[in-house]
Amino acid sequence: MTSPVLRLTVNGRPTALDSVPVAERLLDTVRWRLGLKGTKEGCRTGGCGACTLLVDGRPTLSCLTLTHEVEGSGITTVEGVSEDPVGARVQAAFEAVGAVQCGYCTPGFVMTLTGLLKERGSAEAFEELLNDLAGNLCRCTGYASIVRAVAAVREKSP
Amino acid sequence: MRSARAVAAFDLLTPATAEEALSALRSAAPGALAVLAGGTDLLFDLDDGRLASRTVLSLRRLPWRTLAWDGAALTIGSTLPLRTLENDPGVRTRLPGLYAAVRAVGSVALRHRATLGGNLGRSAPASDLIPILLALDAEVELVGPEGARTVLVDRFVQGSRKTALRPDELIRAVRIPEARPSAYLLQRVRPFHDISHMAVAVAYSPRRESWRVALAGFPPRPILVPEAGELLRGPRPSSAEVVRAAETAAQLAPIVADKRASEEYRRALVKPLLERAVRACASSGGAT
Repeated sequence: MTSPVLRLTVNGRPTALDSVPVAERLLDTVRWRLGLKGTKEGCRTGGCGACTLLVDGRPTLSCLTLTHEVEGSGITTVEGVSEDPVGARVQAAFEAVGAVQCGYCTPGFVMTLTGLLKERGSAEAFEELLNDLAGNLCRCTGYASIVRAVAAVREKSP
Repeated sequence: MRSARAVAAFDLLTPATAEEALSALRSAAPGALAVLAGGTDLLFDLDDGRLASRTVLSLRRLPWRTLAWDGAALTIGSTLPLRTLENDPGVRTRLPGLYAAVRAVGSVALRHRATLGGNLGRSAPASDLIPILLALDAEVELVGPEGARTVLVDRFVQGSRKTALRPDELIRAVRIPEARPSAYLLQRVRPFHDISHMAVAVAYSPRRESWRVALAGFPPRPILVPEAGELLRGPRPSSAEVVRAAETAAQLAPIVADKRASEEYRRALVKPLLERAVRACASSGGAT
């Protein structure tokens, strides 16, 4: 039911985990085993995007991912996103326009947008970026400032 | 460890070859094994306790995350993440209906894990992918102890959560015989990241000079409506033909109500969705 050692690279650091149950979600591993509480549990059913983090650079719902299924992968959480130049730009844009209300959805938005920009490049159309952020919900409905942050990231793109 | 909730226990198998995976299937007692592809649907069974004390067979190490064009035909490995399928430039330009259907599934972060094989294997009535696969005459490649066999998606999908997959078989790939002008349109409460109330998939085969019309969103399963397809002629059918096809589809299709929408609402949606889909398809031109 458990494997001896599970290896991940978490925010650039090689990490070996003992006795992770095979049914454990990446969300719970990150929050409770690694203590990285920036990744949020929202709906736990893939509907809100609050738990989004990067697996090998790709935005992934950690609530619908078994930790063992991403063994050997590189995991980037919001705590490590500023070490990535694209992630740092996204964080700076959210901060600059104040795209944070209660803050619960913010890590998910930052991770999804970082992943999208890394995947598609900064030339991606504005509308397309907004469409692809549709899986992230802000329950404060603070969308206008989030849209401004997306625009700011594109303007500041190299 | 502190944990948000108790974790159910099961065994996880991660075979590296199809032979190992098939042998694990063979040695499992009936109903004792669940197959895991992306997990975006299966993990709900875990929360609901349906995976407790079962064995889960993960396909992640199998070499099936493939995408291959052979002329106008496209073969998609069953465990290829949907986002990778969506990012293939050929899918966007040569199979616009498939591109739209893939984009309709969940969110980007969900599509990085969800797979075509998983969507077919789970066979949900509101699947966004099954209707377009029906319109494209797609086939499912299955592997089992006696080797491989291919089954038309229309025969593979048998009902809500029911397929022609035998307990000792796995879905290896999906084959689309030819690139076709195609379209997928759906009606849902929110414009993104939501389940369809009603969906229409259409495709025109230049080789067979014929149309396929599929409807979905209602139980038990997405269906082809051949009578509607037969009323459409040539790559650019007339307005009168499109209206007659839409009326026929709305009338003949075994549409029913469920908790998401009434039968009347669904039948009323067929006409506008089908008209728009055929128009989009005809204007996409010779996408092959």
